[in-house]
Amino acid sequence: MDGNNSFGPIDIAISGMRAQKRHMDVISSNVANVRTTDAGTGEPYRRLETLFKTQDDGVSGVSVDEIVKDMADFQKIFDPGHTLADEDGYVAMPNVNLPIEMMNLTIATRAYQANVAILKRYQQMVETTLELLR
Amino acid sequence: MPETSNILDLLEAGIRAENLRQKAIASNIANLETPGYRRVDVKFEELLDKALGSAGKIDLSKIEPQLHQPKQTPVKSNGNDVNLETEVGEMVKNTLRHKAYIRVLSKKYRQMELALNTKT
Repeated sequence: MDGNNSFGPIDIAISGMRAQKRHMDVISSNVANVRTTDAGTGEPYRRLETLFKTQDDGVSGVSVDEIVKDMADFQKIFDPGHTLADEDGYVAMPNVNLPIEMMNLTIATRAYQANVAILKRYQQMVETTLELLR
Repeated sequence: MPETSNILDLLEAGIRAENLRQKAIASNIANLETPGYRRVDVKFEELLDKALGSAGKIDLSKIEPQLHQPKQTPVKSNGNDVNLETEVGEMVKNTLRHKAYIRVLSKKYRQMELALNTKT
């Protein structure tokens, strides 16, 4: 990131907001597919996870590096009437854990709000400087 | 460094560019969900920088802010590449720049007024 840029904090805060929004996409996908037994790959939906990375060395914004699949085991529930039940009556369900998703949702929301707060504060700071020109 | 132009002309050119950029941002936000829409941006600072770097007198009327489509941002599934956060950030930056120009302009006018009032 250019150190001489007087709007640096704005760009960084915006990158944070964009990354958290993307994270929110991933969380909603996980929540929506909490009971999806067919992900088109012959197995249930696999939980997705967002990986963030810095945009540059040192002072920099954030970007979403990759969205990876959670390779944890699928949950097995006992439901002998289900069409996909195995011979013991168990059905493989996605490895999504709703309380964890709710927790991540709170983190994403709070992080988004924090970035907005930074943006507002920095805007106020610049306006204070501009008051000197009055 | 070329011959410095009138500061009022410089400020006017800047304000004109900010005005056009505000329109571009408004259009981007209005077309947030329009399929196939690509965001537009205003190219002005680079042109000004190039002009200031060149020798000779700068003709500010020749440096017109230009609309262009950067086509660098990731495209969504409907062929649209507008991101609300980016536009909001650009708007905040634009507003701050605009405020700075306006403040300098009014300061300049006040200086002129002061100069005119000295004989009374």
